[in-house]
Amino acid sequence: MLETRNLSKSFGAIQVTRNVSLKLERGERRVILGPNGAGKTTLFNLLVGELTPDAGSVHLAGEDVTALPVAKRARRGLSRSYQKNTLFDGLTVEQNLGLAAALYTGHATRLWSDSLAKPEVREIVAEVAEQVNLMPHLHARVSEVSYGVRRQLEVGVALATRPLVLLMDEPTSGVGPEMSKGFHDLLNNLPRDLTLLIIEHDMDLAFDVADTITVLNYGEVVFDGLPEEARGSKLLKEIYLGSWEDA
Amino acid sequence: MFKHNTLRYAVLVLLAAGALFQALTAEYFGLEILTEILILAMLVLALDIVAGFGGMVSLCHGALMGVGAYAFALLAGQAGIAPVLAMAGAVAFSGGIAWVIGAICARSHGIYFIMATLAFGQMAYSFVFESPVLGGDDGISGIARLDLTQIGVDLNDSRSFALFCLALLAVVYGASVLILRSGLGRSLSGVMHNEQRMRALGLTVWRVKADVFGLSGMIAGLAGALAAQHSMFISPGLLSWTVSGEALVVVILGGLGTLVGPLVGAVAFVVLKHELSAITTYWHLIVGVILIAVVMSRANGIFGWIEARWGARIERRVADATRKQQPDGVASDA
Repeated sequence: MLETRNLSKSFGAIQVTRNVSLKLERGERRVILGPNGAGKTTLFNLLVGELTPDAGSVHLAGEDVTALPVAKRARRGLSRSYQKNTLFDGLTVEQNLGLAAALYTGHATRLWSDSLAKPEVREIVAEVAEQVNLMPHLHARVSEVSYGVRRQLEVGVALATRPLVLLMDEPTSGVGPEMSKGFHDLLNNLPRDLTLLIIEHDMDLAFDVADTITVLNYGEVVFDGLPEEARGSKLLKEIYLGSWEDA
Repeated sequence: MFKHNTLRYAVLVLLAAGALFQALTAEYFGLEILTEILILAMLVLALDIVAGFGGMVSLCHGALMGVGAYAFALLAGQAGIAPVLAMAGAVAFSGGIAWVIGAICARSHGIYFIMATLAFGQMAYSFVFESPVLGGDDGISGIARLDLTQIGVDLNDSRSFALFCLALLAVVYGASVLILRSGLGRSLSGVMHNEQRMRALGLTVWRVKADVFGLSGMIAGLAGALAAQHSMFISPGLLSWTVSGEALVVVILGGLGTLVGPLVGAVAFVVLKHELSAITTYWHLIVGVILIAVVMSRANGIFGWIEARWGARIERRVADATRKQQPDGVASDA
């Protein structure tokens, strides 16, 4: 479903992504681990087209999308949520989801109808709001809801475009243990045919959700395998200083 | 996102009633001022759509108005096309020019967008100023008004022309509301709030900006075609950046991003201009002080101030009244 071949990116003399090759099957849930500065977010930016690789290619559903801009990749089914909330702050939760759903249904640029009033858009909004537990907050402005709700909305907006592949950059970043548990359920309840690539520091969540785990260090893939293999990996313990097992 | 509320409807009704009353009762000078307000209102509506709802602060809307005026004058005068068709052609032409400007400037933001539109505006001004075909700095005179005598309307009569402009302004206002409530308008609002996210969701941002800029340019062009017919004379001054600047002042004075506010601003600006210019030649200074006061007050213009002060209170009263009219409300009263 999503594949990268020898993807590389440098900023000046610093190489932040080194020959990264990944292959995600349809419905696969892969978690990317790695210390700060390992190049995880840069990899996401390369995948969605916010950065152009120096070398290598990105393939979505068998098509080479390396040369496509961000919007075209999104229209082909590649969606992302951000580590730092990137929402429409002045609008309501419902309008946030509606804008995304309208893009999926093709009503977003029509001049003769209100995209947010379209039944198919409203249907997606209701469905996604249910999926990410936003029903009680639908009519609240984003600036009025709690940080945790905004994190849920961050994922909801990405989901409302009905993606084939969803990239989630630290979905639980900054949320408390209670909310983090909620995210476990949220991720586990997503449709099984949706391919997920998740950057996550919360090890419990990573091992709970992941089918496979990839570890990046200094922009390079240093581990690619099953969660149980990752738990026993000596290399990973060195990278993380044994932090999650000790914990 | 654009939304009407009780206060906005009330102000709209008041403005429409006031304009209609003035159009039906005023003498020649009053009708001239009214027509000036109506044409300016059309221009500032065009500007508010892009600046207030798309974050595209344009300094070329004066030029787009001028393009509409010149296109009408050329099509109806030199080309001899029927004035109604000439007007449609002028609107389409200015819309096309605006679309191209919007498409080119769409990737710039903030001060760079302003300067890019200013450059386009000044290019248009210089072209018209130097062009012998367009009359150079002498402009074009003897522009005829639409002939609607077949339906019993003589637009050479100031009252009829003012009413005609009022009717067109009503149509333009309605069209502006439709644009802002359409999928395109909603997406524009998304772009203003978070362009990066709209792009990441799959929107071709430049195209949305260009399309809305084009529609806005059509409205500015219509204002220009009316301005040409109003004064029956046009000169390059119509395309000057000062006209764009004045329109921006009016939008800010009235209330950016409200649609109703710029209409209030147009009334306030033209009335102030005529009243103050009768007292002093330094009337710009007073308007400047008022503008500074409006900006420093942090209220969103005159209408924004009114809305912040009374808008919520009126909405609450309307909601209370609606609740009381419902059976549940009656039951709770009992």
